[in-house]
Amino acid sequence: MKNKGLGSLLLSMVICGSLLSACGGNSNTSSKNSGDTEAKAKVAEIVFALPSFNRIPDDLSKVTEAINAITTAKIGVKVDFRLFGPADYAQKVNLALQSGEKMDVFTTLGQFSNYVSKSQVAPLEELLPEHGKELTAILDKDFGPDILKTTTMDGHIYGIPVNKGMALPTNIIYNADMLAEAGVAADSIQSVEDLPAVFGAVKQKLPDVVPFGPINVNPTDTGLVNWMKGASKVDYLTDTTGVGVVIGDNGKVVNFYESDVFKNGIQMMRDWFDAGYLQKDTATTTITAMEMVSSGRGFSFLGGYSGMEVGKQLSAQVGKNIETKRIAPFYFDTSAVNSVTWMVSSTSKETEAAVKFLNLLYTDKELINTILFGIEGEDYLKVDEHHVKFPEGMDANTVPYTAMLSSGIVGSESLQYQLEGIDWSDVELKLKENKDTARSPYFGFIFDQGQVKTQISAVNNVVSQFLPALVSGSVDPETIIPKFISALKDAGAEAIIDSKQQQLDAWLAAQKQ
Amino acid sequence: MTARRKSPSKPLKKTLPLLILAGPGLLYFLINSYFPMFGVFIAFKDVNYAKGIFGSDWIGFKNFTFLFQTSDAWIMTRNTLLYNLAFIALGTVVSIIIAILMSELLNKLYSKLFMTGLILPNLISMIVLSLLVFAFLNADSGFVNHSILRPLGLPEINWYSEAKYWPYLLVLIQIWKTAGYGSIVYFASIAGIDKSIYESAKIDGAGKLKQIRMITLPLLKPTIIVLVLMSMGRIFNSDFGLFYQVPMNSGALYSTTQTIDTYVYRALMQLNDIGMSAAAGLYQSLVGFALVLTVNAIVKKVNPENALF
Repeated sequence: MKNKGLGSLLLSMVICGSLLSACGGNSNTSSKNSGDTEAKAKVAEIVFALPSFNRIPDDLSKVTEAINAITTAKIGVKVDFRLFGPADYAQKVNLALQSGEKMDVFTTLGQFSNYVSKSQVAPLEELLPEHGKELTAILDKDFGPDILKTTTMDGHIYGIPVNKGMALPTNIIYNADMLAEAGVAADSIQSVEDLPAVFGAVKQKLPDVVPFGPINVNPTDTGLVNWMKGASKVDYLTDTTGVGVVIGDNGKVVNFYESDVFKNGIQMMRDWFDAGYLQKDTATTTITAMEMVSSGRGFSFLGGYSGMEVGKQLSAQVGKNIETKRIAPFYFDTSAVNSVTWMVSSTSKETEAAVKFLNLLYTDKELINTILFGIEGEDYLKVDEHHVKFPEGMDANTVPYTAMLSSGIVGSESLQYQLEGIDWSDVELKLKENKDTARSPYFGFIFDQGQVKTQISAVNNVVSQFLPALVSGSVDPETIIPKFISALKDAGAEAIIDSKQQQLDAWLAAQKQ
Repeated sequence: MTARRKSPSKPLKKTLPLLILAGPGLLYFLINSYFPMFGVFIAFKDVNYAKGIFGSDWIGFKNFTFLFQTSDAWIMTRNTLLYNLAFIALGTVVSIIIAILMSELLNKLYSKLFMTGLILPNLISMIVLSLLVFAFLNADSGFVNHSILRPLGLPEINWYSEAKYWPYLLVLIQIWKTAGYGSIVYFASIAGIDKSIYESAKIDGAGKLKQIRMITLPLLKPTIIVLVLMSMGRIFNSDFGLFYQVPMNSGALYSTTQTIDTYVYRALMQLNDIGMSAAAGLYQSLVGFALVLTVNAIVKKVNPENALF
């Protein structure tokens, strides 16, 4: 990006993209022709892009064949299966959408309203009753009938949320060996108020260890902010800025950063910082909390995790004895559900086939597990009804195909195989919590940012200027919070709040009818 | 470059080899600089993918407003301009000094060795450089705090949350990185100066300093003007790596590290709006273009010989 304006870079990308797509279009038609000759029956072709958090295999053809064998037989759809790493995914999908390349089914990774406001995704409400009956049924059964509200704007359903453990209560994740060494019983940690005593004990016994890890991996998604959201029932109302939220159920849109909930949370972190429980440079460090803990320099951090088996998974991952304790409940607002949503591109010519495929993706055990684990016998071995393991002498990095670390994202978690050793009851617990966790009364409201785009872009900037230092306790809240608030006002926070309040009122009125 | 000869139009036969030589370069500019220019209209559109880029609504200058939305608008414009002016002024001076010193170095081997050493920083990527800087300035274990300030009993400085040090740091880093590379052109120009001028000066009794002042610098003037003019065009752009990566995107430093490029990046990270990005790019390019024209006009007025066009 050096020496090049961001704008001109994008422009050239668009131009190059459209040139490339012209070529791509040709090859598509030619392959279709050859397909037509062998099977007269109409087989629709769709492109399906899945993010994988594991190694991307070089050769997908075998798995693609296996997927196609299922889909052509069951719904007459051929799938062009693409797999991208998490860092590439959004970029690759965006580029395809912007340049008009073929891209039918993809997931949002947190950008739901963005895609909708730019009309990049197709409305599905007319196709679902016919081609997505089972899909709707399974979502109703597993989550409750209102889940599709979170992807509905102006009466159009734009996406299908993934069916997995969506409640992510805030956990304190800590090194159990260090806790024992400090002479503290795990049961003494029940809420956030119990933490300072624990940190103090750890600091005294192990002076070289940082008691509480850096939390500023991403300013708007820190453990602290999520803890405040869950503990005080804060609904961010679908944008990530935090200047227009509702706290509790009074229906009043306020600036979160002016609230007592925020001030108290920041003060707590400031007290921890002053007591020396955090690193001096928490606000700017690029080392993640996980790295701190796995290197043995850190004792704990906050994180949102579903289920109770997190400790086991993390222990295996970081090579330390990790345990977790839930310290705040989760609170369902709209974005908590629609942040991982399967969508169909608005430029797709095969929307019907795409919905048929989505339907299968949520309901067909064979398809789901082929996508996740590959081919039985080669990539995985069956252990029992719900569990699989790697073939002899292989692990996640040496099997020919594996995408299983994207699990949860593909369709319904209850139909997915789990790796050997993971307690099946945890999957059931996750499903139960999807139904039981408290929901915001504004669950289903989606903010249309179109009117205040300018203000939001300016506010984003102010937030990234002040929030990291505040949530890490490294600045004095007494003097910085007022500066933060006045900078937000300058950037147009009031306009965002007004616009949101208006839309929320209209939405509430529509709900009563 | 100093002597311009006016020649009558040559027949194609003579210029054809030159045209072929220029071909790949021209093609490059056509593809990378001229084709994308058609995309400029995106800056005036509310891009809607269902309608397509060409079918989207025109919205006039609305995409540009976010650049001037906050009080930060003044800060980022000031930073961009002042940093670039400092880079141009100091960079030029340091580059020329390096070039002159190198050319005075008679031993070929040493001169080659130093030159290589001076160019090396230019090859380091900004990401790596930011980590190098971090190793120096990190609050807990950084070299400056850990090995200089602490042993001397001086108060430690939390570099990444104190904005006031960064104007000096950034200028220093930028000069360190680019001055060696920048000196190459000057070095080449000096090498091209007729040696007999120096010899006659020597005979007339001029010392080294006088030679530099009376011969080298005046003869370098056209080169300096051309290079400064070219960098003027980029005065509203900034090296994203230097202003975003090197300060580790620390919010506390925005008052002295925020430039137009980093502002645009931060503001549009979540929105992902190509209309607004295009607007920002267009704004920067137009201001740069205007500046080049202005400075060139001034140069033309003062000394028509040295103007770029």
